[in-house]
Amino acid sequence: MVNLVTSYNRSKFRAPLEAMHRDRKKVFVDALKWDIPVIDGQYEIDQFDTDAAIYLVALDQMNQRHLGSVRLLPTTGPHLMSEIFPFLCEKGVPVGDDIWEITRLCTTPSRDIEPRLIRRRIATAMCEFGLLYGISKYTCVTHIQYLSHLLALGWECEPLGEPKEVNGEVIGVMSISITPATLQLFREKMGSRTPVLQLDAFAQAA
Amino acid sequence: MSRFGDVQTFVREANRVADLSGLRSLLEDKVKSLGFDYFALLHHVDLARTTSDFVRLVHYPQSWKEKSASLDYYSDDPILAVSQKSVTPFLWTDVPRMLSLSARQEEILNSAQHAGIGNGVTVPINIPGEFSGSCSFSMRTGREIPIPALPTAQYLGCFAFQAARRVVMTNTAAKPAFNEVQQRLSPRQLDCVILAGRGKSDRDVGQLLGISGQTVHQHIEEAKRRYNVATRQQLIVRALFDAQITFADLIN
Repeated sequence: MVNLVTSYNRSKFRAPLEAMHRDRKKVFVDALKWDIPVIDGQYEIDQFDTDAAIYLVALDQMNQRHLGSVRLLPTTGPHLMSEIFPFLCEKGVPVGDDIWEITRLCTTPSRDIEPRLIRRRIATAMCEFGLLYGISKYTCVTHIQYLSHLLALGWECEPLGEPKEVNGEVIGVMSISITPATLQLFREKMGSRTPVLQLDAFAQAA
Repeated sequence: MSRFGDVQTFVREANRVADLSGLRSLLEDKVKSLGFDYFALLHHVDLARTTSDFVRLVHYPQSWKEKSASLDYYSDDPILAVSQKSVTPFLWTDVPRMLSLSARQEEILNSAQHAGIGNGVTVPINIPGEFSGSCSFSMRTGREIPIPALPTAQYLGCFAFQAARRVVMTNTAAKPAFNEVQQRLSPRQLDCVILAGRGKSDRDVGQLLGISGQTVHQHIEEAKRRYNVATRQQLIVRALFDAQITFADLIN
């Protein structure tokens, strides 16, 4: 299952969210060496982790352990593409109520976790969330070497501008259309039709 | 149209192509307009030895296609060897610095030059759980690579490969290459598969592991069931393919 965590129900997920910020530090700062802020030496938290952010958090059903997560930001507010990478978009940063940005997709670094399965579960949850909440497109900034993985998952991607070198790494921006066909494909690949997104009565999104 | 506009059109059209020949003509146009002469989009499987249809779209001089097939250059191609270990695109002129070339690999590179294929760039497509793949764009001998077009070529490579992959996936029933759910073998099954892969009989494996030959047989049978394969040769190949066991396990 993947839990929908918004500013309304965040207090119920305090421990998993802490674990998420710790895992994000391990993945993005320790392993990938991104130059981003670390709080208290152990949490990766940046200026976009605000009340506006929505997290899709995959938890182990047995013990509520954090397995992986993604952050979704409304493009009507400040987000990574508008604040940090606007120059990558050829025709301006796409903005709209039905366009949200994907950032900080990560899985817990642990030998007993199969990252591919967790990523697929989170991708399916992103699709379900998008269709339920009337999101037509996600946008994201991606390192070009991950582009073929992103495409291979089955997302309908379109580039928003030519890739450019930023601090020695080639980065591109994508727009991803969310359609029932994508959800159908993801469910086929998971071998299950059961929704993975866990809604919560208090989790109003935006 | 701008170079980027060109890519956007390509992506939209590629998402709709129904077969590889449609993709081929799309690619031939775009590759030319980017300033390249040749391309090769392929899964790194030796097609002489397999009947399944994997991604393979090649636009090279006919003489080179025939020569490389008849001399089986494919299996030793240094470009593909580098590609399988890379995450980022590389120029072919950099390959001698990235790999210490065998005499055979030198011969392949020289031979390509003679056939009229000069410098090129390869975009590696290495997706976990699938065969390695790549998309290469190259020049006629003597022509310079259009360096400013490289970022666009990188996009083109990724999107073209995905379009080809999608077409191949729709046209074939569940292929092992695209079966993403890994069949995990138990540690004991792995022991047995590795020793069997080293050519040991059930009895020898049993003696090495301190279990009976019959138990070894059962472990192997259960592992075959997990992969849904009929023979132990297939089992060893599938376990290698999924990197559950490695060549080093079998050869050392």
